[in-house]
Amino acid sequence: MDYGISGRVAIVSGGSRGIGRAIATTFAREGAKVVIASRTQSSLDETLAELEDIAPGNVHGIAASMTDPASVDRVVAESRDRFGPISIAISNVIGHVIDAAKEGSGPGAGTFEGMETDAYREEFTQLLVSSWALARACVPDMQQQGWGRICNIGSGVAREPSTHLPHLLPNVVRPPVAGMHRLLAARLAAEGITVNNILTGSILTERNRSYWEWLARERNTSVAVETQDMTQRIPAGRFGEPSEMAALVAFLCSDRARMITGQSIPVGGGGSAHL
Amino acid sequence: MDLQLKGRVVSVCGPDEGTLAACRRVLAAEGAVIAESSPGTAEAQADVVVAVGRSRPGSDLLEVSDPDELYAAWADVTNAVDAYRAALPRMLAQKWGRFVWVGSAQAKSVDAEADELAAVASLGMLGLNKVVTGEVGSSGITANAVLRGGMATDEDVANAVTFLCSEGAAYLSGITITVDGGVGSAIF
Repeated sequence: MDYGISGRVAIVSGGSRGIGRAIATTFAREGAKVVIASRTQSSLDETLAELEDIAPGNVHGIAASMTDPASVDRVVAESRDRFGPISIAISNVIGHVIDAAKEGSGPGAGTFEGMETDAYREEFTQLLVSSWALARACVPDMQQQGWGRICNIGSGVAREPSTHLPHLLPNVVRPPVAGMHRLLAARLAAEGITVNNILTGSILTERNRSYWEWLARERNTSVAVETQDMTQRIPAGRFGEPSEMAALVAFLCSDRARMITGQSIPVGGGGSAHL
Repeated sequence: MDLQLKGRVVSVCGPDEGTLAACRRVLAAEGAVIAESSPGTAEAQADVVVAVGRSRPGSDLLEVSDPDELYAAWADVTNAVDAYRAALPRMLAQKWGRFVWVGSAQAKSVDAEADELAAVASLGMLGLNKVVTGEVGSSGITANAVLRGGMATDEDVANAVTFLCSEGAAYLSGITITVDGGVGSAIF
């Protein structure tokens, strides 16, 4: 199927690893001009080398924090200078990791009783301010072209807060992010711009793998035991792959999906209980 | 109906004086005692905490130019979290407590009264209510929300808040009641 995005300029935040990398790869294969942004130069370089093989001359990487609005503006300006006006914006910033020193400690873990309000603000910056800043910076280009795609890599907890995993902060901040995208969709639909949100389910990225290792240590079990509990709750009986996230995102960003906007769509092997 | 709120200590907080006053009035009419002391100490002795978000009618996320406006909206959530946490030890000890958030109906329906910043804050509180419910729900503590839309008056809102504080609402937690006169068209 021709997705009609060949030559379109796409920005993918958090594009050097995991789901972001899978999305950038799919866009590159579809002929889009892809800019990936990430804080870490080393992982950026590694992913750029892969992308260059797929689409020589059509990829670019920028080392930047995508949570600071001024830095996001800089990334968007640099992307525009390089490739032209932005048509596609994918926001994919991870949540606030409470104890960054503890490898794989997982984002936003803690209890309501113990969590300080500063951490709620941090999470709000990571998840909401980052995606707001990217949308705000890209919308003028999209309006000028009468065509745009904004897609946020959110989480299933936006609709069904997780009660079996100790992730307080995403439970509180993912719903506002989903709501923000719904509201932006209503404002932008008449201008050919769609805005959607992915409710990410259990996708096996490197980062998730290290999370399971941490959880197994915390609970004194094994990765096999912890993931068995989890996969039993997933009707498909397995974790998803990053490429399975990218498949939906690419479709939503295609010309074919022009009437699909304001949606929060789960990619979770049927693990969502919501009707 | 006896809502069995006689003698329950209520603390209300937030920037919306009209709604707060209505909540105080309706709860007091059911025999609840309004905590009078300053914020922080009021919550520590409260059986019921009602937190009200700020209304910014017509607020538009695309019109926001300074991220500080987003943080100001989010402060409604962190202020409520502070109030809830201050009240929690007493509620846990007595195995009874009520948290009620009053926010915007646009959190659930885009065609409700337009207030996008209030919708963002309210969605955070809906998530928080689920967290609180999961963590302390077995201690007789509930956390719910009243979402305001349409032409709802302060009194309409206060009536729903007071019901959620009642004994009869003990099995309702993590839920929202939209008070909008039927304006919002979303089914769920």
